[in-house]
Amino acid sequence: MIINVKNIKKSYNVGTQEVHALRGIDLSVEKGEFMAIMGPSGSGKTTLMNIIGCLDTPTSGTYELNGKSVSSLEDDELASIRNKEIGFVFQSFNLLAKNSTLDNVLLPLKYAGENKNDAVIKAKKVIGRVGLTERLDHTPAELSGGQQQRVAIARALVNNPSIIFADEPTGNLDSKTGEEVMNLFKELNSYGQTIILITHEDSVAQQSNRVITIMDGLIKSDNRN
Amino acid sequence: MLIEESLKSAVSSIRTNRVRSFLTTLAIIIGTAAVIAVIGIGSSASKALEEDIDELGPRTLSIFPSQRKRGGVSSGFNPLVIKDAEALADNNDHNWMIAPAMSGSRQIKYENNNISGEINGYLPINFKVRGFDLAHGRLFTEKENLGRKKVVVLGSKVPGELKKSVKQILNQDILVAGTSYKVIGILAEEGSTGWQNPDDDLYVPLLTASQRIFGTDRLGWINVGISNDTNVDYVMMTIEEILRQKHDIGPGGENDFRINDWSQFSDLRRQATGIFTALIAGIAGISLIVGGIGVMNIMLVSVTERTREIGLRKALGATHRSIMMQFIVEAVLLCILGGLVGVFIGTSLLYLFASFNDWPFAMPISAIFGSITFSALVGLFFGIWPARRAAQLDPAVSLRYE
Repeated sequence: MIINVKNIKKSYNVGTQEVHALRGIDLSVEKGEFMAIMGPSGSGKTTLMNIIGCLDTPTSGTYELNGKSVSSLEDDELASIRNKEIGFVFQSFNLLAKNSTLDNVLLPLKYAGENKNDAVIKAKKVIGRVGLTERLDHTPAELSGGQQQRVAIARALVNNPSIIFADEPTGNLDSKTGEEVMNLFKELNSYGQTIILITHEDSVAQQSNRVITIMDGLIKSDNRN
Repeated sequence: MLIEESLKSAVSSIRTNRVRSFLTTLAIIIGTAAVIAVIGIGSSASKALEEDIDELGPRTLSIFPSQRKRGGVSSGFNPLVIKDAEALADNNDHNWMIAPAMSGSRQIKYENNNISGEINGYLPINFKVRGFDLAHGRLFTEKENLGRKKVVVLGSKVPGELKKSVKQILNQDILVAGTSYKVIGILAEEGSTGWQNPDDDLYVPLLTASQRIFGTDRLGWINVGISNDTNVDYVMMTIEEILRQKHDIGPGGENDFRINDWSQFSDLRRQATGIFTALIAGIAGISLIVGGIGVMNIMLVSVTERTREIGLRKALGATHRSIMMQFIVEAVLLCILGGLVGVFIGTSLLYLFASFNDWPFAMPISAIFGSITFSALVGLFFGIWPARRAAQLDPAVSLRYE
């Protein structure tokens, strides 16, 4: 089991009011799953992703990642887990605009303290996997949206993480490039990569093996395709 | 690799915001330029002063008679006499020039003109020690001194005071205290030294002055000419040793003479210049601090602008430390760049100023390194707070910052 979440709650104070974003989530994810989390905005799916992505900690409940409890770690320990265990792919790509493809992909390796030569070899390898070897020295502005998202996927893969989180990865792409990106995810999954997708598009969610729907901070449905 | 990444990010951020970076560092640039220019002008000025002093020729010590104390009670002046000077001249330890002198005011008369003139009893070597040049005629010789000859050399302004031209008075006899002396030479204009004007004086051989004019062997002072590379302390010790022996001063007794080192005055002047320079440089340094506040301000803006980037870097595994480093490196780099531009401008200003005043160009390397280091420290100090703010951003929130 990669992810084991038990009775996670998260509440924020907005002014004097307490907002309960998550109200008791239980969830377990096995290695090699391709799961989609669905739900309308305000449902708590982003909060859930932040917590299982180790960007945030729950107010209560336990979270074990690869058998290790991470629900009460310090900031820098969480940073190290994000660096090694989790790869993020965002809707708006979030590439560094002044950096080349290679430098963008190298970034997580730099924070991992990898030696430069090894890092470049690793980065070039994943860039090859997403089919951008010809675009090593291009900056994001010189790439199409689909290519930019593939750079982001290469960046997410480069530290060989346990899970890839993709937050609306096709949201900024036209349907054809969106499909290409989804095919890339499917291909990665076929090699055993665990992927968690956050989306509100049914057509995207249906391409995964398991769809979870969140509503008002609770899991409403959990269906395997 | 992290430092490299921080530097890369800093360079790219500064290049993206060229105008903003320039305006931000303006105060640092001006501050560094001012510090550099002031320090450079100060050191060029004192170098110019040194060159002036070197031009004055050999260094001179002066020995004056002083009060003698016996058991804490002063018992009047113990004179320096011609024999003291002879004892010094007999010493061969040093390559020095002993120039004893006595002086006094006497009536000078030529034809119908009467003036009161300062008569100096000199040895021929005295002119060399003082660096006096001859304009007309000749100086007196050692032989004329030993023969107590009645010859006189005039300061450059004396003929004019006697209402005569050089031609009219050279080789004529003038009356000095009623006795006639032959004018054998006239000095070139030397200019006032501040405490005396050699151009107004008259110069006769020392023994002539001693026996025929003043009737005493008491000297007014003894000048000791030494070359610039002489060990002054050693020379002073030798003088003391000889004079104490001549004056029969036992161990523990106080000197009955004092030795002045004229170069001490230029040291004082140099010190004053140094203090003044440090003061102005300090005031200019304050603008570096003001510049630091500007840098802090722009770094805070930069942190806000790059909230999303910080969130992304944190999501990819950047620790507190690596985010801090990124922003501190940026602030320090900004300040160092400002410092470099300032050093360039300050050095150019000094170059202009020095060539305008005909001064030597003297820029201490330590001032350049010092001011760049100081600007780097300003960047470090004022970069810490914005960097902390960046490092403390919540990754989940900043990733979605619009």
